[in-house]
Amino acid sequence: MRPRGRVWVAGWLLFGLVVLAWVVARQTSAVVAASELSDLRDERASLEARQAELLARIRAARSRKVLIPRAAALGLRLPADSEIVILQVPGTEKR
Amino acid sequence: MAKPVVRLRVVQVAFGLAVVAVVVRAAQVQVVRGAAYRETARQQRTEHVVLPARRGTIYDRNGVPLALTREVYHVGVAPRELRHRAQDARSIATALRLSRQAVERALQRDYAYFGGPYGATQVAPLRAVRGVHLTSELVRFYPSGDFARALIGHPADEGRPASGLERVLDTLLAGTPGSAVVLRDSHGRRFESPARLRSFPVAGSDVMLTMDAALQDIVERALADALDRYDAQGGDVVVLDPRSGEVLAVASRRADGSTPPTAFTSVFEPGSTAKIFIAAALLQANLASPLDSVYAERGVWVQKYRTIHDDEPEEWLTLRGVIQVSSNIGIVKFVERLPADVEYQTLRDFGFGTPTGIEFPAESRGTLERPDRWSGISAGQLGMGYEVAVTPLQLAAAYAAIANGGLLLSPTLVREARAPDGTVRFRQSPMPVRRVVRPEVAAELRSMLRGVVYEGGTGSTAALSTYELAGKTGTARRATGRGYIPGAYTATFASLFPAEDPQLVMVVKLDDPQGAYARLTAAPVTRSVIEQVLASRSSALDAWRLGTRASPLVASPPLGAGSVPYVLSWPLPRDSAAAAARLVPNVLGLTLRKAAGALHRSGFQVRVRGWGMVTSATPQPGTSAAAGTVVTVVAGTARP
Repeated sequence: MRPRGRVWVAGWLLFGLVVLAWVVARQTSAVVAASELSDLRDERASLEARQAELLARIRAARSRKVLIPRAAALGLRLPADSEIVILQVPGTEKR
Repeated sequence: MAKPVVRLRVVQVAFGLAVVAVVVRAAQVQVVRGAAYRETARQQRTEHVVLPARRGTIYDRNGVPLALTREVYHVGVAPRELRHRAQDARSIATALRLSRQAVERALQRDYAYFGGPYGATQVAPLRAVRGVHLTSELVRFYPSGDFARALIGHPADEGRPASGLERVLDTLLAGTPGSAVVLRDSHGRRFESPARLRSFPVAGSDVMLTMDAALQDIVERALADALDRYDAQGGDVVVLDPRSGEVLAVASRRADGSTPPTAFTSVFEPGSTAKIFIAAALLQANLASPLDSVYAERGVWVQKYRTIHDDEPEEWLTLRGVIQVSSNIGIVKFVERLPADVEYQTLRDFGFGTPTGIEFPAESRGTLERPDRWSGISAGQLGMGYEVAVTPLQLAAAYAAIANGGLLLSPTLVREARAPDGTVRFRQSPMPVRRVVRPEVAAELRSMLRGVVYEGGTGSTAALSTYELAGKTGTARRATGRGYIPGAYTATFASLFPAEDPQLVMVVKLDDPQGAYARLTAAPVTRSVIEQVLASRSSALDAWRLGTRASPLVASPPLGAGSVPYVLSWPLPRDSAAAAARLVPNVLGLTLRKAAGALHRSGFQVRVRGWGMVTSATPQPGTSAAAGTVVTVVAGTARP
């Protein structure tokens, strides 16, 4: 039995709706993914900036400009060369 | 009145004409001018944006970042879009560290703009605030502050020309910008929709310098202290690896605290530090032996046009003794044995009067006149280190030739360049310029320089207790363009450390220090720097070589009759820079002991962070790296 005209129309309408819904879902998904990507990118930039700031602070804290006055205040001094012993790894294998 | 049929016909024709007009117009718009309209519409709806490429990072030789790129932001606020105006204004003021009143005033306008630039952490709380729009920009950041700033320089920025290594290496560091297309509305505002990428930005290459950050820190600090202690007008320190020509540290400083790169760009007369090159010429040309002697006139030698003085009155001095006590009279008498062209050629061969070729803009070539322009006293003056002007770098490179067995190497600042994916784009290898003296002559010269630091030598104040140092002092009158400055001197000490199998060549130069003499100023600074290097964890010194007193660098047999004297002994024995590249072994998951063993066996140096099993290594296992590269091994939960 052949479907009547209204059924055909309803079928095509339904098909159209499904296609539209699929397109909308894909677009929505793309926008959400783009938003997540943007958030991740922002987070990465933020972390990189934080890393750079910490790096700068570490470099400053480890510099002689900071360390030597503090060491001197604690009564420490740089060793003379005669006070430095370089330990040798046993064996004669030359690198 | 016309009949209805006629009126109907007229209406039909009018409709027909209207339809035809619409169709014709449509055809004109769609077909004839369609392309132009499409282009106009595309331009109105879309915008091409340039995606800036991240500039490559500059590292020191051990992977310590010296210059990197980070994102900063400018903040725009649309007051009408704010949901909670008072609260948002407070958040903006807090985040941007502005006064509340300033922010409130700015929000009175249609669109408030805060230029900044602000860091990513600063603007992070504002990302979620509706009505706040952030515009990002990539800028250069120097985590070590003023550390080696004159050397590293800065990229071109808003009319300010680039300088330093940022300028020389710009094509490597810059990368290639990308582009994208974004949609916008009729007001030109961009839609919050994904952009269509046309081309990805390609980040610039990372560059690893030859400098050692730890050594650089020591040298900069020592120079600053020396300027204070001796009340000097300025100074320079250059440290080279004599086997590779790599510049390990370079510092320049003026009394006012500025740090122009004068080690490369400013010249001075080297004074007695040049005497060793006259000895080199004499030995190389077999015109004197180290034990040949001359009469030193008891400290005063009156000639027709001048009188030459020595600080210490001496009678007979050997060539070795002349170098040890730095006798002006002795060296001038020895110069008389040298033909002018031989003297000139030797100084030229050591690199004076010509740029070294280092990767730095505006390097000075120095001054060395040809013999046909010399006056009657020029030969002797050159022997005493006058009438020749050199940069501290040129002097260091010339002493490096003595240290490495007689080869003049082109000094270099760049060790390696890597593409963003880690592939090596460029790796430096030692660049020999020429053989200046035979290896046995270089060995004899080193022996003479050792004598300078012995008791009785002018450089004895630089002597260390445990390790032997070789060097030469030089105290020369300071000159400006209008002649010598009365009472002003340049004190210089050029040294090789250790004396046997030298690993470092250092030139310390102080302009007009109180105490004037190099033995009282520049030599003690050298000693201080070396003691600090020994006490530090710097990888500039190879402790293994230092401890085992390795055999002489170039073990070439003496050349016999018929030999060609100017044959390059090349390549040099394998060292950290000259060695071929090899793969970093996979040490992930191994214990620290096993990992260190594997890396040592592969010829790498090891730096350990953390404790336990190895979780990561830099450079990454499987990548190519030069032998001697420091591999940082991270174990346990330590962060790389």
